Amino acid sequence: MSKPPDFRFFNLIARNLANRPYRNIATVFAFAIIAATFFSSHYLMSGAQQSLDSGISRMGADILVVPEEYSGAGQTVILSGTPSSFFFSDSGFEKISRIHGVAKASPQIYIATLFASCCAAPVQMIAIDPERDFTISTWLKENPGIILEKDDIIIGSAIIQDVGKDLMFYGHNFHVIGILEQTGMGVDNAVFTRFEDAYVMADESGEKAVKKLTIPQGKVSAVLVKVDPGTSPAVVANEIMTQVPGTKVIMSNGLLNAVSGQLGATTRILYFASLAVTIVSIPLLGLISIMVAHERKKEISILRAFGATKSFVVRLMFAESFSLAIIGGFIGIGASAGILMIYQDFIRITLKIPFIMPSPTAILVQGGSALLLSILIGGIASIYPVFLITRSSPYEAIRGG
Amino acid sequence: MIEVSGVTKTFRTDCLEIQAVDDVHFAVQPGKFILIFGRSGSGKSTLLGMLAGLLRPTKGEIRINGVDISNLSDDKISELRAKEIGFVFQFSGLLPTVTVLENILVPTLFCKKSPGSRLRALELLKKVGVSDRADAYPCTLSSGEMKRVAIARALINGPSLLIADEPTGDLDVDTEYEIMELFRQLNREGTTIVMVTHNPDLIPYGTQTYCMERGKMVEKPGSSSFIKCEPGLDNHPKPKDLP
Repeated sequence: MSKPPDFRFFNLIARNLANRPYRNIATVFAFAIIAATFFSSHYLMSGAQQSLDSGISRMGADILVVPEEYSGAGQTVILSGTPSSFFFSDSGFEKISRIHGVAKASPQIYIATLFASCCAAPVQMIAIDPERDFTISTWLKENPGIILEKDDIIIGSAIIQDVGKDLMFYGHNFHVIGILEQTGMGVDNAVFTRFEDAYVMADESGEKAVKKLTIPQGKVSAVLVKVDPGTSPAVVANEIMTQVPGTKVIMSNGLLNAVSGQLGATTRILYFASLAVTIVSIPLLGLISIMVAHERKKEISILRAFGATKSFVVRLMFAESFSLAIIGGFIGIGASAGILMIYQDFIRITLKIPFIMPSPTAILVQGGSALLLSILIGGIASIYPVFLITRSSPYEAIRGG
Repeated sequence: MIEVSGVTKTFRTDCLEIQAVDDVHFAVQPGKFILIFGRSGSGKSTLLGMLAGLLRPTKGEIRINGVDISNLSDDKISELRAKEIGFVFQFSGLLPTVTVLENILVPTLFCKKSPGSRLRALELLKKVGVSDRADAYPCTLSSGEMKRVAIARALINGPSLLIADEPTGDLDVDTEYEIMELFRQLNREGTTIVMVTHNPDLIPYGTQTYCMERGKMVEKPGSSSFIKCEPGLDNHPKPKDLP
């Protein structure tokens, strides 16, 4: 028969934690709040960043040129996919492709659709010129076998329809031939078609749709520009605005700034909340620890009377604090990750930010950081109480009755 | 073997200096049951605290098995406490978060003993008569049971010295008798015990009795429960008796 196991250090910690439920639940809750706030703010920022990287990469452009008066709408189309229709007032965009430093210029027409069967709300239709496009053509190259032909559309990941099925816009039937990967940006809510099909759809709309669509001939909504290698996009952008009056350029970093601005308020709130929770929690947890230390002075002194060294007491108190921090950290991270993952679409729509779920590695790093922060705060909050208790006389505490 | 020579303990505050123990000398041979009797505030608990190494003497020397504990480092004295000294407090001193059996096992955390301490703890529980409460939590025990568990805990590391500070102070007469009989039995089995009490009824249990008053200690021959504890009066002539 094997001997029953002896009593170990971690048994004592486990018992101390399990049998002081109310106080420990309160402490765990505090650590959970810290970890959840920290994790949430970084998760959202990282998701927005990843979305932006992915979205810009999908657009494949260094510069987006839009009519000056529609620069805000242009950004909105790219970032959130809020449907919008606008056009240059003249055909000066043709000059863009001739500007020094411009490698490729691809015109696009933005059409806000009416309600379609696929979607709860109108979507953004983007008509491209297949000859000059480098947004969809890049994707098509990655997916050989798919050719964008008459009445074909490629849809963003948020559009609910299967490949091979049809979608109707302005009474015109389109055939879905591909679905783009999720980017978290406006592209996810967009439908890509060819110029010709967009013009046909507009012509037919007077008879087939409840509302007539007008696309001025020869006019486009935006021009995506890719600059020559080694050329500064900023210099080219400046040149475009000088040579083509009435245009406004939106650059990748400009989009980043726009997103940051959009995210700014939210992230500021989250970071502030994270910081405030951290700042408030250290003295609060310290105070709880001091109260606990006073309460446990006698208990610790009894351990000392039976031979516990000061270093044992230090290890015991820190181990208990770290255990609570780890438990609270895991609960906070787990709960916030669950909520953020379940409600990510709701969060994206409510906060009006581009968002894509961060990679598992990024989530692990953020979770690890949040956990480390909890442990660090647990450690800091325990320093003074540990000092207090190791400095106190066990004899006095025992005699204290 | 414990040797206490010229031990003095002075507590100092901003405005007060209290000589709790004043030049105490005595020795404890293995297997003895030393009873230190005195009124509250006489210095007996302070003396016990120094014997256990929880307090350092202001002056003098305390040797346990030849080792002077007065100037040992905290780690060394903790090690010595874990190996050589068992402590029974006036209150039970049981940890509320662990079971009776685990309470007894707590001192084993500080003493590198061979495995099997759980079996030893179960044997001790049987010995002190509470083997049926091994898995109970302290809050469910009676005062007498708590004290028995505390005694078992003090013995788990096989100490050469058992120190008891007013161990029956909070017990009723019947329970006090049971606990004292347990101490007597342990002593007869070879455990050296140093106990302090203010209860003169317990004096007969000691094989050697000392009296403490105002920090001074004198040995009292015999075991009269009517002992008058006034150091200096019995062993030393009073000034008025001097020629």
